[in-house]
Amino acid sequence: MDPLRLCVNTQTPLVRFRETGTAKKKKAPPETTNLSDLTDGVDYTFSPGGVTRMVFPLVRRMIREGTLRDAHWVALNPTGPDTVRAGGLTLHSVHLPKDRLKSYGIVKETLWGAAHRTVQDTPPDEDVFWTDDFSEYAYYNRLTAEVIGELDQRYDFDLFYIHDFQQLPMGQMLGPLKPKIYRWHIPFEQSAIPDHWKELLTTYFDSYDVIVVSAGRYREALKSFGYSGKVRKIYPYVDPRAYSRPPRRERAAVRRRLGLREDDDVVLVVARMDPMKGQDRAIRAFAGLASRYPRLRLVLVGNGSFSSSKGGLGLSKGSRWREELEGLARRLSVGNRVVFAGHVPQRELDALYETCRFTVLPSIEEGFGLVVVEGWLHSKAALVTERAGIAELVAEGKNGLLIDPDRPEEMGEAMRLLLDDEERARQIGGRGYETSKQCSLDAGVRAETEMITHLVGR
Amino acid sequence: MDVVSFLLPLGYAAIIVLVTWAIARVASTLVGRILRQSRPLLAAQIRRSVWLLIWLIGLVTAIEEVGVPSDILLLIVALFGVGVILTIREALENAGAKYFADVFIPFKVGDSIRVQGHSGKVIEINSMSTILLGDDNTLVSVPNTVLMREAVVNTTPQAWKEVIIPITIRNDIDLPAFESAVLKSVNKLKPSLDSRFPPVMTMRSKGPQSTELSLSIMVSRPEQRDAITAEVNKRVAELVESMSKAKKQGNAADRSPAGPA
Repeated sequence: MDPLRLCVNTQTPLVRFRETGTAKKKKAPPETTNLSDLTDGVDYTFSPGGVTRMVFPLVRRMIREGTLRDAHWVALNPTGPDTVRAGGLTLHSVHLPKDRLKSYGIVKETLWGAAHRTVQDTPPDEDVFWTDDFSEYAYYNRLTAEVIGELDQRYDFDLFYIHDFQQLPMGQMLGPLKPKIYRWHIPFEQSAIPDHWKELLTTYFDSYDVIVVSAGRYREALKSFGYSGKVRKIYPYVDPRAYSRPPRRERAAVRRRLGLREDDDVVLVVARMDPMKGQDRAIRAFAGLASRYPRLRLVLVGNGSFSSSKGGLGLSKGSRWREELEGLARRLSVGNRVVFAGHVPQRELDALYETCRFTVLPSIEEGFGLVVVEGWLHSKAALVTERAGIAELVAEGKNGLLIDPDRPEEMGEAMRLLLDDEERARQIGGRGYETSKQCSLDAGVRAETEMITHLVGR
Repeated sequence: MDVVSFLLPLGYAAIIVLVTWAIARVASTLVGRILRQSRPLLAAQIRRSVWLLIWLIGLVTAIEEVGVPSDILLLIVALFGVGVILTIREALENAGAKYFADVFIPFKVGDSIRVQGHSGKVIEINSMSTILLGDDNTLVSVPNTVLMREAVVNTTPQAWKEVIIPITIRNDIDLPAFESAVLKSVNKLKPSLDSRFPPVMTMRSKGPQSTELSLSIMVSRPEQRDAITAEVNKRVAELVESMSKAKKQGNAADRSPAGPA
């Protein structure tokens, strides 16, 4: 197959730029900023989550293996330079005017809330697709389509790979001429989608050649929903080589920084600050065990998403949720035993994975749950919400324990099981490590390459 | 003197061509405005016909001005036309049928139709035929003349509700802002539209000067179809006009010495 030219589109940018960084000063076109000229942590940071963990390694690997000639990545990045070169990859920023950001944010939160069943106070007949806010959502997507259209004129892409529910209208806006793959990352349950949304969503889905989902049940749900096109299940993946086992000295330093004693037992939750992530459930379950295990500490890693960040959409959801959780921990008398670590660099995160007894994914709904795979890569047992896509990879009691996030007492019982039987927890973690190979970059690249080759047909 | 008598008619002819161009342009715009509440494709055909007629009259007048007898010219054109018609009669029939099909046949690319025992999804409508993708993955080519002669059944669910409004905007109009404004305006007609189908704008093509779009809406009651179509057409035309005007004013301000640097 001849190397292909790929255009990737996500809402979340691969890197977020600091307002005061060098990149901002270099913004004026036609100068193109080179990422290697900038300093990680000073001028920019990689966005946490799937774009950095999954999409970026995929694109880099496909360029290295010769599947791709080069790739262009278009993303919403209000504070980013127009163009940034990053190896064989070129990043392009979409600058959505500030006065339109809010309305766009409202629509995306509504769609996201419905998919995750977190929207409880929305009247059932409210139809976001008929609001002025939705016109701004369409504005953002059309603006992105215009940027991609201009790039396509210049580079003649072979394929568009659209990620995220926020970009759903892109397939219809980009037109039918070139192959388009759409990756739906969040949960898809037919019962969660209001009936009156069905027609428009179907119109958008139908504009893609292939839709990729993260779990078998989403594939079945999409078909039941009425989508008759091709659906592929590809488990999200990470590159195991990106994870390390920091030595004891580094682990001790992280413990000290977070105020953890050497003999503290750590239960780890890695998730951004969002009600859907169910950290409140974990705190309640933890509070039920606190008196029995005086050295037990609950560490919550993560802060707000791109949407919550100042450089992103500026929504304050993340900080609001953290305040709620801090209040809850205080009310349950475990305020001094729940540690809010915020965002931590990868090396420190690895140290925490190594340090913890096991990990918990307590989400109310979860598209997949790559953090479970990260824990497995450190051979740690995992308590996994049964409402996560990754739950279909968990064999109860073998490589993890399934939990119902609405039953904190059961979650506490599962925690107790792993705390009391260290050997069993170790065995479960070991089998989890084997399972993690299904979510490795190698497995992902194989599946993606096969799909792309089949679709492009050359 | 001979040179002057040779050049003068040529000059008059050139002026006639220029005047014809101006009249055709004004007439076309006027007809477009008058018919902006009627069916969009029909309005486009009438505009095109008026434009063609004015040019025909203008060109014949210009040719007479340079001394070529128009009756002989018309005879030659007519004979040539008859020859062409006899040679490619079937192709012309199909092309003509396509021309009328644009206006009168109620289906579009993407719809499922049944005609003369064939059924499938319309994947292309070209000047000769309409291509169907059959349920068994076969391709069926239906000559456009067949579509004019035979009963065509559009089996697309809700097909009777759909109204497609073709829109052309100049490329200097901000497309995302235009689309956003159109959606906001059409959303206000929600009580008369099927609420399960929000309006969707699609880009059909983008040329060097202008962009062809189409706006798809779904009416809730068939008897309101024409009235809603007219109202949407009116709103879209107003938006095109106001955004064009704003753009022109912006450009003028940019050029004036007092304008932004």
